[in-house]
Amino acid sequence: MNAENGNSAMDRGQSALDAALRSVGSATPAAGLEGRILTRLASERIRMESEPARRLLFARLGVFPARALGLVTACLLGFVVVAGSVSYSRHIRPSTTGTPPSLVLPGQGVGAASAVHPAAPASTPAPPGQAGRSARRSAPGRARIAPHSRKAPGVAVPPPLNRPSSDSQN
Amino acid sequence: MSCFEGQLAPWVAPAPVAKPLDKTQTIAALVAEYSTALYRVAFSVTRNAAEAEDAVQETFLRVLRHESRLGEIRDYRVWLVRIVWNIVLDKKRRAKTRPEGEDLADHAHALPAGDRAADDTFISSQEHARILALVDRLPAREREALLLSAVEEMTTAEIAAALGTTESSIRSRIFRARRELAVLLEKEGISR
Repeated sequence: MNAENGNSAMDRGQSALDAALRSVGSATPAAGLEGRILTRLASERIRMESEPARRLLFARLGVFPARALGLVTACLLGFVVVAGSVSYSRHIRPSTTGTPPSLVLPGQGVGAASAVHPAAPASTPAPPGQAGRSARRSAPGRARIAPHSRKAPGVAVPPPLNRPSSDSQN
Repeated sequence: MSCFEGQLAPWVAPAPVAKPLDKTQTIAALVAEYSTALYRVAFSVTRNAAEAEDAVQETFLRVLRHESRLGEIRDYRVWLVRIVWNIVLDKKRRAKTRPEGEDLADHAHALPAGDRAADDTFISSQEHARILALVDRLPAREREALLLSAVEEMTTAEIAAALGTTESSIRSRIFRARRELAVLLEKEGISR
């Protein structure tokens, strides 16, 4: 009895499903569908036929000027780069307005090494009572580091020695 | 021209050869023959009259753009169904703004005209909308096969060709779809 009920319910379900699918599968378009499609196709065809002519026009007028413009731009860019580079080089070159020191060339030989300079080189004497600038002035004794001074990490400072100072001995 | 030649001329003149249809006429013939079937295929997915008609128009626009390849097509019906099928699936994927089955008027319009009362028609269209909502819950492969099988003009072989599979696969997909739908209908209480 239950099986029969189940089967009939399933049949009803299937028939409902069939009806729903039929309603979708047998849908009728609004009247005049063909005419609307053909009208749209005709307008599209007109548009397509006018498009190649426009493309050709662009091919004739558009492509050549674009190439020419590109070439001119490249030339101008190259000129600007070269001119700028030359201008910069002139700007940083040492001034040539000052007169170079005159060289008196000896009778024989040509070259800077053998040239005779107008002023002969002379040594400058050290000031009296002073050491030369290169002389290092340092106090005698051991270098000291304050115990609480800040040190770089890893630097170990030995503890101060408890020796009597030389002052107290004296 | 002598009298004899004048009499002979109609017999000697080449017989008028049936001129092959040009591309425009071919497309017009395709529109006349397949537009309704394509509309039904589109409607099975969109469930909306305007969108289905748009899809059919878009299909023929694509045909027009590729009219140079018309001579290569072996089966126009399958080719066109495949185009419209791809268009509606693509539209559905892109625009999920309008849920399917929303437009009950479209369902009512889709119903075959009968002498039932308006209330019956509306209730029936509501039930159809619920059933079709269940169809949408099926896996894509089963759903597509089932929906295409619902289109009157489509045979199993044509569905298989349109979906790029075999007839046996289509049959098993439809069987599985119906079995799963029976369970869903039972759960929803529609079968009672």
